[in-house]
Amino acid sequence: MASLLETIEISVAAWSGIAPPNEPARRMAADLAASIAAFEALRGTLAFEDEPASFEAALLEAKG
Amino acid sequence: MAEDPASLTLVEAAEAVATRALRAVDLLDACFARLDAAEGRVNATIWLDREGARRDAEAADAAIAAGRPIGPLHGLPLAHKDMYYQAGRPCTCGSAIRRDFVPDTTATVIERLSAAGAYAYGGLNMAEFAQNPTGHNAHYGDCHNPWNLPYITGGSSSGSGAAVAARFTYAALGSDTGGSVRLPAAACGVTGLKPTQTRVSRAGVMPLSFSADNVGPLARTARDCARVMQAIAGHDPRDPTSAREPVPDYEAALDGDLRGLRIGLPQTYFNDGADAPVLAAIEAAVAVLAARGAEVIHLPLPLMDAVAAYGGIISRVEGAAIHAQWMRERPADYAVHLSARLYGGNAIPGTYYVEALSRRGPILREFARAVFGAVDVLATPTIKTCLPTLAATDIDHGPPGTEHRFMAVSANTRPFNYLGLPAISLNCGFDPNGCPIGLQIAGRPFAEARLLQVADAYQRDTDWHSREPPLYKH
Repeated sequence: MASLLETIEISVAAWSGIAPPNEPARRMAADLAASIAAFEALRGTLAFEDEPASFEAALLEAKG
Repeated sequence: MAEDPASLTLVEAAEAVATRALRAVDLLDACFARLDAAEGRVNATIWLDREGARRDAEAADAAIAAGRPIGPLHGLPLAHKDMYYQAGRPCTCGSAIRRDFVPDTTATVIERLSAAGAYAYGGLNMAEFAQNPTGHNAHYGDCHNPWNLPYITGGSSSGSGAAVAARFTYAALGSDTGGSVRLPAAACGVTGLKPTQTRVSRAGVMPLSFSADNVGPLARTARDCARVMQAIAGHDPRDPTSAREPVPDYEAALDGDLRGLRIGLPQTYFNDGADAPVLAAIEAAVAVLAARGAEVIHLPLPLMDAVAAYGGIISRVEGAAIHAQWMRERPADYAVHLSARLYGGNAIPGTYYVEALSRRGPILREFARAVFGAVDVLATPTIKTCLPTLAATDIDHGPPGTEHRFMAVSANTRPFNYLGLPAISLNCGFDPNGCPIGLQIAGRPFAEARLLQVADAYQRDTDWHSREPPLYKH
């Protein structure tokens, strides 16, 4: 099974046509494992009703 | 009147010009004298227009002499992060790619500052395309902290923080997508305000992240920031995303009265891993506010895991999209740390990005209900740790792992960008290395007047904001 970094390199090349520009790019891409873990931890908290973006309305509602 | 006009605050300088105690050219000469004495060590500017500045200052004095009406910033020499378009003038965005870019339009905020009487004499150093929290710049040289030169200035508005601290100018615009106004304000010992998302127009401003970019002022005092905010805030037809909310009188709110104010001290996230000198400075600062009648309440903050996770990807994805073409065609023209960051943004799935955006409103509602039902403002460290050096956070030349220290700098500022909330940073002391410590105060949407009031009240009782860096003591 390919590593996360290998998967990222293949995916970014295929979707965006961009190769890793340097070694820090590979390290920081591998660090996306932490983002994946954070999103995994949040699974199940997204409600269907949340789909329409309403951020600007929320700003006005919360202004007090 | 101070001996050196460069030592005046922005409001004091404006009053001096308006009352003819000083000429606009006196202010310009004083700022340039400071710049000529210290710029070689600080590196806060990318380009200067000395001749244009002289013409603008003389025109300001001529207007006074002729008795023409003047604005609240009349005759003030300012300079801004080099990402605000000014027709016919350079705008490098701190990059090699835009080294020769000369826009043919002017940013609304620059037009509004001009309408208030100010002028800009140059472009200030910044992180390349506003994308780092430290102030490193591989193309124009790193910006150095005026308080201790080997240390970071904070970024991305590095030159804005350093130039205001070094008395090269009275105020500077920065931009804040993850902390880029507040971090240099904290690191350089000045005051910086990130307004509510949508409060200030972004027309004619280099984009980093359409969802999280904000324009905000850095200046010496809260009152100075209030005056600049008065000039730039408000709806702009050129920026349809800008809010139509009325703009209050920010300076009128500065009454020093904190009786009944509820200050929240977070029990979660913001102090995790903080250094002892930083925590001590924040505690002392809050005691000053409490002595003015504020009530201090310790409280947990909800949803911080979600705020951190979602807030961490939006600007990365949007930045990667903006830069994708140049990343394909000119990757070597980016600094190592920036191309490395942009590359990873391309790997984040669209579903994650949409989830982060779609949850932003509901999370803000829940956060505001829980937090601002209990307190009026939150007080946190702007930066959790004592400032690191430029060398310790240099991804381009440092060992593996340097990127983690680099990104930790903005841990306390990014959450308020995701939430869209206003937040101000002001100096509340110094660490053992002589570098400033920043107090961050955040509030409800469109509560800029409240934040400025709290910061001003603090500055009435303390003198951190009036101290000058040791650049000129030989």
